[in-house]
Amino acid sequence: MRLDASIAFVMSVSLAGCGFAWRGLKRNLSAPPERAVAHKLADPRRPEARLAALWVGHATVLLQLDDRFVLTDPIFSHELLQTSPRLVEPGLDPERVPPLAAVVISHMHIDHLSFSSLDLIEQRTPIVLVPPGVRANMPRYEFEIRELETWSSYERDGLRITAVPVQHIGGRYALDAAFEPRAFTGFVFEYHGLSVYFGGDTAYLPSAFKATAARFPDLSLALLPICPDEPRDFMQYTHVSPNQALDAFQLLGARQMIPIHYDTFINSDDAPGACPKELRARMQARGLSSDRVPILAIGEQRVLIGR
Amino acid sequence: MSPVAAVGVWAAAQLIPSPLLVMSKQHVGGGMRWQLTPLLYSFGIAERPVRTFLVSPIVRHSGSVELHVSPEWACCVTGEQSSWLVRAGVRLYLPLLEHGEKLSWSLGGSYYRAAGGGGAAADLGIFTFAGALGLNLTVSPWLTRREVILALTIRLF
Repeated sequence: MRLDASIAFVMSVSLAGCGFAWRGLKRNLSAPPERAVAHKLADPRRPEARLAALWVGHATVLLQLDDRFVLTDPIFSHELLQTSPRLVEPGLDPERVPPLAAVVISHMHIDHLSFSSLDLIEQRTPIVLVPPGVRANMPRYEFEIRELETWSSYERDGLRITAVPVQHIGGRYALDAAFEPRAFTGFVFEYHGLSVYFGGDTAYLPSAFKATAARFPDLSLALLPICPDEPRDFMQYTHVSPNQALDAFQLLGARQMIPIHYDTFINSDDAPGACPKELRARMQARGLSSDRVPILAIGEQRVLIGR
Repeated sequence: MSPVAAVGVWAAAQLIPSPLLVMSKQHVGGGMRWQLTPLLYSFGIAERPVRTFLVSPIVRHSGSVELHVSPEWACCVTGEQSSWLVRAGVRLYLPLLEHGEKLSWSLGGSYYRAAGGGGAAADLGIFTFAGALGLNLTVSPWLTRREVILALTIRLF
């Protein structure tokens, strides 16, 4: 009986996965040209800010914590492995990225780890932090590549970055998830009393969010993915829905949340705009204001805590 | 996923054949080729440059030298020789675009052993889609009825 259930599960996920992949291919082949971002910032440094976030697109966020900058999952490329074109250009030109204290990479999937994007910022960061199993699958760069186990930290000049648990899938090209099953993580950045959670890509795993909240009880901000949502039968094992992202936000106990990981590439059945629309509806139902959950446009920077 | 399942995924990936166009002056036929990598040294990867059997695309295509073993079967090639042969050789991979993940090329030399005897061969390849797809041209001047082979290389690991 248990075996039958396992086989049924694997078959249903596989069938859903095949259908999803085929629909994704069709939608990518008919994708519109990349849209330009109006009013891109020439200089993202904000002297008046203690905490600021600039959404570059997808899971790429430039965070300013006082005088330190960190960049999450940098993707500046205009396509993902020749299959998925970018819908909106990067919200910050890579040559405008300020000197970074660190770059973090949540996992190896092609929409989170771009070797060509790292080439573009190679001189701007001393270190790239990755989950276990990733370093052996990255090319050589001039910066240090350091793996962080869950709950272990990197610390330098007062900036501490800790790997925190999330639920996703390892590997880079789908099938190789079998070889690197633990290669995904979230991160928490701490500096001068500020603390920011970055969820990377995650399914809904309340225990992970609660454990993070227990260790970091005063999170200033949570960067949480809200997409892909559909097909939910397939995505539920790897991605939170917009509603679950709000659940995660509340479990984390963060003061503000910025939604990420939507409307930049086609990697789901969701129509562009569907995930933020669903998020807004769920925010309204919960009485969450846009002050607590600001929904940024790609290229938009928000000062969350001023000096 | 358990280690047994991981081995199963790897083994299944190794069974995927690369279709061949087998050519000589008088004949054109088809065939299939499989590839194993008992040993590879990557000079493009950040960590663990030596790999055996399980080789991720970026490890190979960011720059590497591999020892490969390739069973090969040709159909529609009539004559004295068996349709099966095996090649063992060394191949150099060099990246062209995006650390080889978008585009890379290769140059190799091998020794083949067929029922009718053995000999030397050289090959030249170009690869895209993280090395999953490629074209590989193998020239074996002394291998009757299959002197030139064009392979559509399909390879995951």
